[in-house]
Amino acid sequence: MSVLSSEWLKIRSVRSTYLILGLGVSTILLGLVLATSAAGAYDAAPPEQQAAARIADLEEALIIMPQLCMGILGVLVVTSDYATGLIRTSLTLVPRRWPVVAAKSAVVGALALLVGALAVFGTHLTARSVLGGRFSGAYATAFADRLPLLVALTLTVPVFALLGTGLGALLRSAAGATSVIVGFVYVIPIIVGNIPEPWSERLGSLMISALPRQITGDHITTSVYGSLLPPPAAAAVMLAYAAAPLVSATWLVRRRDV
Amino acid sequence: MKLGAHVNPGFDLEVRTLVRRAGGPPPRILYRVIELQHLTKRYGGTLAVDDLSFRVEPGHVTGFLGPNGAGKSTTMRLILGLDAPTSGQALVNGRRYTSLRMPMREVGALLDAGAVHGGRSAYNHLLSLARTNGIGSARVVEVLEEVGLAGVARKRVGGFSLGMKQRLGIAAALLGDPGILMFDEPVNGLDPDGVRWIRGLMRSLAAEGRTILLSSHLMSEMALTAERIVIVGRGRLIAEATVAELTARYPSLEDAYMALTSDSVQYGAAR
Repeated sequence: MSVLSSEWLKIRSVRSTYLILGLGVSTILLGLVLATSAAGAYDAAPPEQQAAARIADLEEALIIMPQLCMGILGVLVVTSDYATGLIRTSLTLVPRRWPVVAAKSAVVGALALLVGALAVFGTHLTARSVLGGRFSGAYATAFADRLPLLVALTLTVPVFALLGTGLGALLRSAAGATSVIVGFVYVIPIIVGNIPEPWSERLGSLMISALPRQITGDHITTSVYGSLLPPPAAAAVMLAYAAAPLVSATWLVRRRDV
Repeated sequence: MKLGAHVNPGFDLEVRTLVRRAGGPPPRILYRVIELQHLTKRYGGTLAVDDLSFRVEPGHVTGFLGPNGAGKSTTMRLILGLDAPTSGQALVNGRRYTSLRMPMREVGALLDAGAVHGGRSAYNHLLSLARTNGIGSARVVEVLEEVGLAGVARKRVGGFSLGMKQRLGIAAALLGDPGILMFDEPVNGLDPDGVRWIRGLMRSLAAEGRTILLSSHLMSEMALTAERIVIVGRGRLIAEATVAELTARYPSLEDAYMALTSDSVQYGAAR
């Protein structure tokens, strides 16, 4: 508990935290801009085009913003200690070491859950109020029908944050860990999308971005990834993305000379 | 009274303790002692610390000397459990450091004054350290006053001079009011006023019955501050003596150091 309050103070006593949190939540503004411009384009279009017009799920399209922001915050909360040498002090004061990793994870994970919820629900509600019944009522469905996907999308944000914390502790380098995070968002999905079938779909189903719709069972045939996993398996894969690096990092931090 | 009567095991234990205290040697002999037993640390092919054994005891400042690369900082990291020894062990108060749950109350250390996040204020930096060991903000204010940083407590550490960072590092070491203190070159970057302040602080902390291990390359300063000296070279113990013994045998502590470490200097111009 004392280590947790220490890490909480550490994260809220540097400016960069607020910058990253603000950037993560500003997804809502981007959602507002996109929804407004889509509404304008829709209204200007002739009726036959309006009937055929489709719109992407904005909260899903914009989720990479809070994901990347909080992934990077997760990286920084560990690597800034390594970069400054403060990690030696931290681990001297807590010789068991694992509480330090656990406290950092808890603080970053909680903030990421908050930012993720604000970004996802904020974007959705903004788009809903701006778009109304346009685009064949894409945003006029019952909120409850949409809720499972919104929750699953929200949860990917703390997953990225914990992935960042784990990678930061494993690699001890902000540049290295951030590269891997960006790799998970952009590079690996592109590679997986271009390998021959059936492996493209098999591995595509394991991509983080493919997991929310597999968790909710809301499979769309046009998924760029894959949708082979049943909901429990998809949830387990998502948990593993957060847990596997963290568990191995904790194991390593406890054994490694600092 | 027969101690074997197991009516109340807790009571029994209490009686045994009392009996031992009344008769035998004083309890907690190893209180406020750093003890190295055949401490060895190997990094790949390099022996950084080689079968090092010595004791650091309370009541005076123990100077820790040796050329660059002699293993002083590694030894301190080993004592603090940051690095794991290849063999042997380092004990504080008779226990391995890594077994301590609230280490700040037993051992305080300044290893690297630059190990701070420049964006954090001095107060928040210290409070974040204090909280890990359940120490409150009142003590943070106290140590900030003690090291003379109370006026800049809310300033970001990034703007501090090296001397101010040294003071901040010393404040961090003092947070838990520990009986054992280790300082790795705390005088670096301090102005003459600060150097004198450190000298007085080290002496008064030792006079309070604390155990002080102080490393420095400033021989004249060490001669004024320390009472005992441990000299290491290439990871091995070269000498363990009082300053008085060394200055009786050699013209000065500096001459003693030069003579004793002449075979151990790894990085330096030819003499």
